[in-house]
Amino acid sequence: MNSDFDLHDLAEKVIRIGLSKGADQIEAYALYGTVRGVQIERGSIRRFTDTSNSGIGIRILKNKATGMASTTIFSRESIEKTVSEAVALAKVSPPDTNFVSLPSDTSPAPNIPDRYDDNISELSIEDFTELILATIQEAKIKDNAVIGGNFSAGKGERFILNSTGVDRHSEQTSVSGFLSTKISDGDDIGSSYHYDAQTTLKEFDYLSIGKLSGERALRMLGSQKIESSDLPILMDPETTYGTFAPILANGMNAFNVFNKTAFFVDKIGDQISSPKLSVIDDPFYPGGVDSSPFDDEGVVPKKIPLVEDGILQTYITDSYTAPLVGLENTGHASRFSFASKPRPSPYSLEFKSGDISKDSLLSDLKEGILLIDSSLESSGNRPQISDQINQGFYVKDGEIQYPVKEAVIGCTVYDVFNKIEEVSKETENRSGHIAPWVLLAPIRISGGK
Amino acid sequence: MLDKLDLVLGKISLAPKDFLDIRHSYSMGESFTVRNGRFDSVSNQTMGGIAIRALIDNAWGFTTIVDTDIESIVKAAKKAIRIAKSGSKYTQQERSISDKWIYEGKEITRIEIDPREIDKEVKFEKIVETEKAARHFSDAIAESTSYYQESHREEVIVNNKGTKVETDNHVIRIGKNIIGREGVKMQNVTGSQGGTGGWELIEGWNPEKEGLKAAEEVEKLLSARSPPSGKMKVIMDPSLTGVFIHEAFGHATEADSIIAKRSILEGRIGEKVGVEQINVYDDPTIPTLRGTFQFDSEGTKAQKRTLVKEGVVNEYLHTLETAEAMDLEPNGAGRAMNFNYTPLSRMSNTYVGPGDMSLEEIAEITKDGVYLCKSYSGYVFTDKGQFSFNCQSGYFVENGEISDLMGNVGMTGLILEVLNNVYAIGNKWEPAFKGNCGKGGQWVPIAGGGPNLAVTDVVVGGNS
Repeated sequence: MNSDFDLHDLAEKVIRIGLSKGADQIEAYALYGTVRGVQIERGSIRRFTDTSNSGIGIRILKNKATGMASTTIFSRESIEKTVSEAVALAKVSPPDTNFVSLPSDTSPAPNIPDRYDDNISELSIEDFTELILATIQEAKIKDNAVIGGNFSAGKGERFILNSTGVDRHSEQTSVSGFLSTKISDGDDIGSSYHYDAQTTLKEFDYLSIGKLSGERALRMLGSQKIESSDLPILMDPETTYGTFAPILANGMNAFNVFNKTAFFVDKIGDQISSPKLSVIDDPFYPGGVDSSPFDDEGVVPKKIPLVEDGILQTYITDSYTAPLVGLENTGHASRFSFASKPRPSPYSLEFKSGDISKDSLLSDLKEGILLIDSSLESSGNRPQISDQINQGFYVKDGEIQYPVKEAVIGCTVYDVFNKIEEVSKETENRSGHIAPWVLLAPIRISGGK
Repeated sequence: MLDKLDLVLGKISLAPKDFLDIRHSYSMGESFTVRNGRFDSVSNQTMGGIAIRALIDNAWGFTTIVDTDIESIVKAAKKAIRIAKSGSKYTQQERSISDKWIYEGKEITRIEIDPREIDKEVKFEKIVETEKAARHFSDAIAESTSYYQESHREEVIVNNKGTKVETDNHVIRIGKNIIGREGVKMQNVTGSQGGTGGWELIEGWNPEKEGLKAAEEVEKLLSARSPPSGKMKVIMDPSLTGVFIHEAFGHATEADSIIAKRSILEGRIGEKVGVEQINVYDDPTIPTLRGTFQFDSEGTKAQKRTLVKEGVVNEYLHTLETAEAMDLEPNGAGRAMNFNYTPLSRMSNTYVGPGDMSLEEIAEITKDGVYLCKSYSGYVFTDKGQFSFNCQSGYFVENGEISDLMGNVGMTGLILEVLNNVYAIGNKWEPAFKGNCGKGGQWVPIAGGGPNLAVTDVVVGGNS
């Protein structure tokens, strides 16, 4: 059984086998986790799950060529075969002269408070269900509310070993919940959702998940089409984070910078946005869902400023990309799964607050759109944004008038950064994701009216 | 494995109304990516494990294991039953799986040339030459990428009602993603070839031609006119028609969202939602397409589904559970990404049936509007019936003729309005879209297409 394996021993064995088969350098990345899940359908329990997931990814370097192989099967035969596959692939792959070395960081990794909570790892499915039933009640804001969603609680371990000295282990718990609520009034439908994820049970605001999901669904009733026009956009903190964080992740990623596809190529030291924007990346935020004592190559990162008063401060790098852009390794390697190659990605972003109240931002808005828990996303990693308004309200003379339907926001990522007019003094903190309300100058909106 | 899983079922005691299924999945894959002249990824993936579901007293229990010895599987099955029982006291809906639908069979995907027997160097050459042709085309090409993917999956599915199915599915794809940049202006063009089958599906990929074609398109897009915005007439190419019908209608026919009361099409079987000329199908049995299979992940025999017949909602996409809830025969739409997930109602190869007009005739009656091509992505909120998707490029339609190129643009619309706004359907049919569809954290290969489709009053908005 995979869970009976000592993953550290397994990773060490992988290193030994790889070197004996001719690897110049080798890295083993192993994950093991258990998750209990609860699915909600029509306001009651549909399914309980109790699953374990594990896998190991192996990266081999041979004459500057890379071969990767992964498996979820930890038998001796499977592991030997997987290492052999990685070695074989490295041997037939053309060399990449840009590759320098796997990292060799052996500096002590910090202890981040609140990353592991026994109250989650030992939470019984019955106790978990009681929390979920309580938040479902909060979402039942109307008799006809249709409530669905998923909750999960689990723990995971990560081992990263390589032949150049890295030997890391971390473990983390997490609890998360998502509820969506639909409320009908004749043919009129209001629908919304809310989500929370935490590393400790005490911070898990489970009651708000249902409460906000229900309240927002009710507010979405009576949506109307609007005419095409240029309107200011007021973003709530979730929209601020959901919009700016992915753009920064693309724009400052050294891999994209090297390939000239990043939004902010050759912009370090340049003004990339309104001076009202300042952003810090904090890998060690206590209890942050994206916090980590080391990156996915085992390198210890630092808390760094990304944008100060609108000026780009740095790019985020990993072992491969740091030499390519002439910067030090900032320890931002991140993997989509145990099977994938690392790429630079930020941890938890903190957007600096401004000096105006959020209430003033709304009350001073003559005409505009208020976006709730949304994101303006570019498609295909291009700077163009062409996004449907899903949870947006038409605002007139400082008052929310009605939710908007069938409307598209069209702009670019550069517009979003340059059009920041105001930043609120209040921020919201969702497990280390810290963001304010932001007001953007008028942007083109195509309406269905 | 089939005999082993059947033996396990014999060791589990269940009441007649209970349901238990065991699905063993083993997959292998290779993927290679070349980016800007360097091998970015050369990898091999193996996944294996067993998924066990139990439906006891109206609640599901689900667990997974990677061990394949009988004792471990029996233990896991008992665990699935135990957690289902513990959930049953909390559920308020009735759920069951019928005894009527039992499937037996073995799916062998026809492969003429097994890609596992093709040298890696031959695979490398295809993508290296594609990437190189695009990169060398002009200085405006910022990033040139070409990739190759093959996957081979075996599944064995048994349940206590008597289903015993083995599947052997192979999917292959080669593709390109070319990004052009001039200052802060960027455009990209993607394209791929492949489907369910073997090397024969991509053998004809001409690397130089494909690379140059994409690079030329990117360069033209960089100097293309900005797209218009507002409500207008839109003509779609067959690829975009595929994405449009997938997002604007297909997702809302998935019966798990119907049962959960999260689809605007709930209770609308027999209701007119579109013009009489429109027919929409989802068919996993078309050979060689990317969303093709003969049995779904619950072991149900796959069949062609007519989602819309002459403008009227005709059929939903069913799992065993949703079919039983509606007292219908299952139609084989239960798909799971791998053994870590439970099957959901999913699309396969979704398309609009052909009409009788040429593209030129459609442009002529359109007079003024846009002709949009290919898609990057799309999504839908099935509960309130609002969808959105992006195209890669397009052309202005002016005075009845297709004229200047324009950059990418996004569109949004309402499910219950859009098919009624179709005013012309083309006569050339093509399953042109090849992609992956995400739902509930699970990604499955799909295809889509149709003819040119013309729709009025679509909200278009973008910025080049």
